[in-house]
Amino acid sequence: MADTVNKTLDPRLNRRGFLKGCTMAAAALGLSESVVPKMVEAATSAERPTVIWLHFQECTGCSETLLRGTHPDLARLILDIISLDYHETVMAAAGHQAEEALHDSVEKNAGKFILVVEGGIPTAENGIHCMIAGKTALEILEEIAPKAAAIIAYGTCATFGGVQAASPNPTGSVGVDKLVHDKPIINISGCPPNPVNLLGTILHFLTFNRLPAVDGLKRPKFAYGRRIHDHCERRAHFDEGRFVEQFGDEFHKLGYCLYKVGCKGPETFANCPVARFNEAGVWPVSVGHGCIGCTEPDFWDTMTPFYDRIPNVKIPGAGIIADADELGTKVLAATGAAIGIHAAVGVGKRLIKGKSDSDE
Amino acid sequence: MAYQKKHCWSILLRLYHWAFALSIIALCITGFYIHEPWTNTLREGSASWPMAWMRFAHFIAGYVFTAAVIARIFLYIFGNKQERIMDHLPVTPRNIKNIFSTLLLYSYIKEGHDPDRLGHNLLAGMTYVITIIAAVFQLISGFYLLFPELAIWEGYGLAIFGSQQWARYIHHLLMWWFMIFALIHIYLVVWNDVQEPEGLVSSIFTGKKFTH
Repeated sequence: MADTVNKTLDPRLNRRGFLKGCTMAAAALGLSESVVPKMVEAATSAERPTVIWLHFQECTGCSETLLRGTHPDLARLILDIISLDYHETVMAAAGHQAEEALHDSVEKNAGKFILVVEGGIPTAENGIHCMIAGKTALEILEEIAPKAAAIIAYGTCATFGGVQAASPNPTGSVGVDKLVHDKPIINISGCPPNPVNLLGTILHFLTFNRLPAVDGLKRPKFAYGRRIHDHCERRAHFDEGRFVEQFGDEFHKLGYCLYKVGCKGPETFANCPVARFNEAGVWPVSVGHGCIGCTEPDFWDTMTPFYDRIPNVKIPGAGIIADADELGTKVLAATGAAIGIHAAVGVGKRLIKGKSDSDE
Repeated sequence: MAYQKKHCWSILLRLYHWAFALSIIALCITGFYIHEPWTNTLREGSASWPMAWMRFAHFIAGYVFTAAVIARIFLYIFGNKQERIMDHLPVTPRNIKNIFSTLLLYSYIKEGHDPDRLGHNLLAGMTYVITIIAAVFQLISGFYLLFPELAIWEGYGLAIFGSQQWARYIHHLLMWWFMIFALIHIYLVVWNDVQEPEGLVSSIFTGKKFTH
């Protein structure tokens, strides 16, 4: 057994853990081991990039996932290679001291610091739904974002508005890239995202001096380039037609594919099956629960019901929510009935009028 | 009154029709399987690959469907008089008049088709145009689901549908349009053939219609 007690309390990161973290990031980025020394060099250089971490409308779950990994090296590595000047959850300062630290750092490092945003930005009613130090999230972002070198939107709230943006989105929550248009932005989505993807992005930035390649939703391709389904360990069961029919059944115990109980792996881009979580080699599907598609835009609206394949159909005005296939069957049956009535009217008319076929 | 045999549908239109019809049948069956697979192979290592085969059949049928849609769009522009899109849209007084006369005909109020039309009536023509538009969305969403990493499909897919899940949702809902359309289409074709025997059903095999 590892000395977990000492490890958790030991604030220092040992060399072994440091190299392990760099190697992990290189693997996540899909780079060869020859780049690891370069990464180590970049990560150990005296010039540590200043990071300002802003919290807006969110649950702090993204920071929690980062800090409370089973193995603490990853969080320590990230916190070691950056100079984290402002992070409301982990900073020692409070109140005016904290605000001062933020402003000093922004002024001193203007145009050079990396801005990490965690949480959505409410825009309804001039943004009064989220206020820090008497200023709305909207105002804080407007003030700080133009001075950043690059912005990392961390978590589904900061990228796509998150759970609070679920229809009808009462606070008007949006992601950073809806408000900031003139800065390089990278979206690391997920609820929460895997810390490996943040580490990979930061190390890529430090090593190559630019953000990694992104997809159409500004998500780094190294992490969000493939669908979960394409790397899933249960994929063979999918192709073979072996499915869990309901949770807890015989097929669930045998580890069959979770497609029929609503797994959203086929429509979700993320590296969960490859990177996994907490260094314990687990991720939702490996422990028997389908993917809920948390890295996709509007997942709260489009991926629900979580245990069905597609969303229900809302009938505007009537307030009725129906299963798509149930509704389709009903419309098809109604069409059939209408056809029957139409044909019956024709036959009835012919019987009454006694129409002959004389015109043929 | 003597019947006159008239050429109405080109060979390409007839090929399009049957490629479209048969691919829709195949796509609906395999699509339903992919959405809600009904088999569950219980024998380990039976290697029957039902999902893989269903998807394979779905993709082949999808390519046939795409080819059919491209052929139809080509005929909308370069086809004969009955096949061109101007004969199907309510843009001329003759076409607008036909909407009302067809509605009266289908309501059993008036009898007999407009004698000046050899091709589709306007209700049918407009429904086919809508169906082809639906088919274009169906194939864009289909290719976006099949090739999400390809820049061109990622671009169209994200711009039109926003995410894979939305594309899948729209793809599934549009399938119901094709099934409902097919039901109405077959009924009305047979109904028209009964009402006024101009050889409507056989015209999609032979290309010939009979007028008098």
